[in-house]
Amino acid sequence: MNGWNGKILDIDLTTLSFSSYPLDMEMARQYIGGRGLGARLLWDLVGPEVDPLSPENVLIFTNGPLTATGYQTSNRFSVTTKSPLTGTVLDANSGGYWGMQFKKTGYDVMIVRGRAEKPVWIEIKNSEITFHDASELWGMRVYALTEKLSQDNNRRNVLCIGPAGENLSRIASIMNDRDRALARGGPGAVMGSKNLKAVVVEGRERPEIVDKERFKFMLYETRKLLAASPLTSQALPEFGTVVLMNIMNNIGALATRNHQQTQFEGAEAISGEELTEKYLVRNASCWACPIGCTRITKTGKVEGEGPEFESTWAFGAQCGVDDLAAIIEVNSLCNDLGLDTISAGSTIACAMELSEKGYMDSDLRFGRADLLAPTVEEMAYRTDIGAELSDGSLRLATKYGHPELSMTAKGMEMPAYDPRGLQGQGLLYATSNRGGCHMRGNMIGLEVLGLPKLIDRFQVQGKSSFVILNQNSNAAIDSLVICKFINMGVADEYFARVLSAVTGIQYATGDMIKVGERIWNLERLYNNREGFTTKDDTLPPRLLTEAAVDGPSQGWVSNLEPMLKEYYRSRGWDENGVPTPKKLAELGLAELVELQRS
Amino acid sequence: MPTVKLYANLRKLAGTKEVSIKGDTVGTVLDQLVEENPNLEAILLEKEGLRPHVLITLNGQNISELNTQVTEQDVIAVFPPIAGGIYSPFTG
Repeated sequence: MNGWNGKILDIDLTTLSFSSYPLDMEMARQYIGGRGLGARLLWDLVGPEVDPLSPENVLIFTNGPLTATGYQTSNRFSVTTKSPLTGTVLDANSGGYWGMQFKKTGYDVMIVRGRAEKPVWIEIKNSEITFHDASELWGMRVYALTEKLSQDNNRRNVLCIGPAGENLSRIASIMNDRDRALARGGPGAVMGSKNLKAVVVEGRERPEIVDKERFKFMLYETRKLLAASPLTSQALPEFGTVVLMNIMNNIGALATRNHQQTQFEGAEAISGEELTEKYLVRNASCWACPIGCTRITKTGKVEGEGPEFESTWAFGAQCGVDDLAAIIEVNSLCNDLGLDTISAGSTIACAMELSEKGYMDSDLRFGRADLLAPTVEEMAYRTDIGAELSDGSLRLATKYGHPELSMTAKGMEMPAYDPRGLQGQGLLYATSNRGGCHMRGNMIGLEVLGLPKLIDRFQVQGKSSFVILNQNSNAAIDSLVICKFINMGVADEYFARVLSAVTGIQYATGDMIKVGERIWNLERLYNNREGFTTKDDTLPPRLLTEAAVDGPSQGWVSNLEPMLKEYYRSRGWDENGVPTPKKLAELGLAELVELQRS
Repeated sequence: MPTVKLYANLRKLAGTKEVSIKGDTVGTVLDQLVEENPNLEAILLEKEGLRPHVLITLNGQNISELNTQVTEQDVIAVFPPIAGGIYSPFTG
């Protein structure tokens, strides 16, 4: 088998048994791997009658045909499930080393079904599967557990949940290699609901590559291109993603104090420049990555990986906090407890606004850096105020009669970029299949950075075509599975060429876009089947009706409606946002829908 | 004089976060900035002008025309080609 291993591992936790069977290679050609394969399998396995925290939900871990080949950034992997936070299709994507190692065990996919009677952990050593009693591990935090299960980056890798997942927090993450996260949408709660504490992998196999000479040349070319790009060779290694803080604040698109403002007076204090000067120990990399965007930071209390821009924003500007040390420490705490930093920070911000306005009785106030860590602890353990915040901001705000104060799209907390300053970004959030997310086709390249060219960030007409192209291409990249940062130095045709060299199947760039479009439409169909409609393609009222009060975006709202109409038309969907029969036929999805109907 | 704010590695190269620079357009201010801080030349300029991906904003709005007029109260922000971001390869 070239690129793919050609095998699926299917685990039943109810019976503590497993089976292994061939990967459908026609399916693999159509969906490649990672997010695409995960979506296709989830379509078959989990229908609308399934509660996300029931044994009938599944976790589908997938790598891709490029994983573990040694191509730059070929370390990533995905998990797909039905989200307990949003109820939509969910895929989450992580780096580090675990994905590479899982590929080396000889499987492309691991499906986890059912629910173990008592806590277990799974060891996959080469192709052998062992179920271990995890009763004594249950309750352990991520860092201690990872060490106990003998994490060794290049040889043995630990994927696990912390207390947040065990306590079924709907914003719990699955962690791998200590500080890496399958973060958004609550996959940690799904894993916790199955009484599955950890999956440890050790493998020896390496994927076969058809055209080794061509592949070697692609490695060489990619290395040169990444070294020549100032972004991948200087910016990201030196400053990491937090360099975005000053940029977004400068243009007035940095959501602040639960999206009440679009500029934060404390942005400089929590910027990438400040992080590098005061707290950075060194940078680090995932497996096979020459970029090195990972921060290793140290404060008086913690030393470890992170934080990234979004985490710094969520506990920083969004909570009105300009104490970078406190932010670094709470980021580390989230990793140790297994909590999504974006949702955790934004949920705390929502609670701050509810409390300041007198709707909720708590001490949480914007700027209270001292309350971040204690609140996050309580969220992971569902104690005190944490019990109310543990399931995200929408459930919290709804309980107190003000759902409009939850800054979510489809129930998932939105990231840092305020749509009132970036019109295309707003359309992206509203139409994202997993909810408020920037990693499904970020528009800041086009609307802010001029990558590849600058377009007017306040323009509305014509934006949908850019959003659609970004969404489709990101879906394809998420299926390879490689890191999106490689985009900054490597041109489009490379990914199709690398895939062709590895698998022997000739993919052109247009084929990749078509795969991405297929994945996007399948995810949309899944959500339609779950009951999501055009009414859910929206943003909080604050962003649609309350003009930005400050900064360069002052006076702007998100003009979503005209963009959405244009988006549906450009996607080939009807006016209700449902893929038309013609579009389904074009993408090879018509049969899937017919089978479902019959 | 307009204020020029410097970010990322420009700060180390210029030895400062912020300077006041004389000039009546964005372009003349940047020229003067480089003249007063020669260390910045290689990172900001190339033969044809500004290097690709150098991000310039004027009072928070992106600027591509260097002959844009500036006033004494204006703030020009300069980011070197270092920013992160998601650039889809498929848009070319």
